[in-house]
Amino acid sequence: MGTDGTMTDNGEVVDRTVSLDGIGGSAGFAIGRALVVDAGRAGVVHRRITPDEAEQEVVRFDRAVALATAELEKVAGRVKEEKGRAAAESSILDAYIYMLSDPTLREDVEREVNSGQKCAEWALETAVGVMCKQLRQTDDPYLAERSHDFEFVRDRLLRTLSGRNQAELIPESDEPVILVAQDLSPAETASLTKDKVLALVTAVGTRTSHTAILARALEIPAVVGVQGLLQHIGDGDTLVVDGVHGKVVVSPSQYVLDILQPKAEKYYAVARDLREHRHDPCQTSDGVAVHLMANIELVIEAEIAKNHGARGIGLYRTEFLYIDRQTPPTEEEQYAAYRLVVEAMGPLPVTLRTFDIGGDKFVSAIKMPRDMNPALGLRAVRLGLERPELLKTQLRAMVRASAHGKVRIMIPMIASLSEVRAVRALLSESVMEVDRAGHPHAQEIELGCMVEVPSAAIMAEELAREADFLSIGTNDLVQYTLAVDRTSQELARLASYFDPAVVRLIKAVIQAATFRKRSFSVCGAMASDPLAAVLLVGMGMRNLSMEASAIPEVKAALSRVSLQEAEDAAGMAFEATTANELESGLRRRFGALLRDILDPV
Amino acid sequence: MSEAEVSGTFEIINRLGLHARAASRLVQVASQFPCQVTVRRDEQVANAKSVMGVLLLCGAKGARVTVVADGENAQEAVLAIGQLISDKFGEQD
Repeated sequence: MGTDGTMTDNGEVVDRTVSLDGIGGSAGFAIGRALVVDAGRAGVVHRRITPDEAEQEVVRFDRAVALATAELEKVAGRVKEEKGRAAAESSILDAYIYMLSDPTLREDVEREVNSGQKCAEWALETAVGVMCKQLRQTDDPYLAERSHDFEFVRDRLLRTLSGRNQAELIPESDEPVILVAQDLSPAETASLTKDKVLALVTAVGTRTSHTAILARALEIPAVVGVQGLLQHIGDGDTLVVDGVHGKVVVSPSQYVLDILQPKAEKYYAVARDLREHRHDPCQTSDGVAVHLMANIELVIEAEIAKNHGARGIGLYRTEFLYIDRQTPPTEEEQYAAYRLVVEAMGPLPVTLRTFDIGGDKFVSAIKMPRDMNPALGLRAVRLGLERPELLKTQLRAMVRASAHGKVRIMIPMIASLSEVRAVRALLSESVMEVDRAGHPHAQEIELGCMVEVPSAAIMAEELAREADFLSIGTNDLVQYTLAVDRTSQELARLASYFDPAVVRLIKAVIQAATFRKRSFSVCGAMASDPLAAVLLVGMGMRNLSMEASAIPEVKAALSRVSLQEAEDAAGMAFEATTANELESGLRRRFGALLRDILDPV
Repeated sequence: MSEAEVSGTFEIINRLGLHARAASRLVQVASQFPCQVTVRRDEQVANAKSVMGVLLLCGAKGARVTVVADGENAQEAVLAIGQLISDKFGEQD
């Protein structure tokens, strides 16, 4: 694909606009030219060499190692200088630098060159292929995962050997580009800088893949998981990347561009403004403080949370630790992860939620019955109480993490008080076991529950008597209250947290917790919607936990509304009879005031 | 100072086995000595100065590995690596 594709051979003007759907990996909006990066994976040279060429091929390999090492050291130095905070990124790079000059790798390559009569590229491909196969054959998922590191080293060297040395990925002193790749390794992503890269688009990945997480940390818009990406995009194509909705428009017509360009500029102006205020405290226009915290899934996201001004972690979804492995994580592994998060956030509080496995999240490490209706089946705390040894391992790790900062433990999917009591008993046992093992821990650890099943909302007052705090999970509360499967695309429009039934349940929880003098919060998607956040504050909510990237927007929205205005809105909410009525009422009231935040593009 | 081949057999006792961090530590220690050092597990032999090689041994907890050093300071090298392994590579458990 060329850059002048709007004209065919006979001069006819055609619209080549292609719109691709992916997953919004990192919020933001960008228009620019594509730079397609193939990591040297496509088309490795396979040249049979003569014996007298062997020595020269080994020399080529050694030279590539030296060059690649120097390049990577440069990148590592820059990463350390620019983002000293993100030590994880630079230690990955250090490990790669070490592996580039690994003697085993060199020996294997030399052998392939000499006895296999292969050119350096081919020899390298073969040698690393054998190693990776060996690693993948182990039943240790951690070791199998290391094969990606070996492949990264291989790709780096292949690139250097081919003379297309893109250790920097992007040519120096060029205009900033939109990077398009099948996949980017953590090291490649970490080496990017905002002044060179407008956005990232990759064919593989999910919201929680490293590319997406690092892109969010670097504040580069990204769309990941775009299928068939490389068939549709060529070097130099103009792209519009919408990291909020996960959309990529390829070669938009001038007409489309004229519409999108001013929107992109506006988006940047708003984003810049929000960033400048990220560490300001969050308060309404009349000075009522609201605590904004972050929901995280991975340890590394704690850094992102802090950078977005989070005042703690309101929800750490620990089930991620159980995914993609054969056996459940040990107490030690979990403790290490929790401790990292707690220390990164210190002295701010971290709410560790026990695993929410089952429902729509299954993991291979735990055998589960086949429920007809998994969302109503053996899920979350039900699974934990069915398999107490599994839950206690996790609780012990959480108790131990409390020695390093402020830890709160939260139980998902509570449907009755008896479950709270059962978990409290297991927690007491876990504390004693931690004591017996001689590990330190905090004296008091709050145990709270999620309110996401209607029965819990109805019984909120009784729950609040025994639980130390309540946190409303709106995604599941919507699913169970409205009987709408949260994974259903067809029913998505019915699943609204503006539904009066949901709003009334939330109000009941707020009243119950206030009466019992317990702290309470919202930690579902509703908290990250600026319009809904205004409503929640009007209803008496002062703690909101959300995706870190939403914090600046929610903060800005709340700062423009007074408590009285928010309370008036809440009053109106109780009169609404449908979700639509409530949402459009809120939009009428606050739409103009919050327009730049609600509709940035 | 010994010049001959020296060997010692050790059991991996840290919980994670010869994982990336442990492998790097082992390579760091081995690289301090001028002699040749290899680590053997069953039929497999790895250069103790190669992280990739040591990783490929896939030495889990409970694996028995033989460290063989040949050349200058061979004795010291085997002792230092044996010490590292029995210290669980400085890991907590």
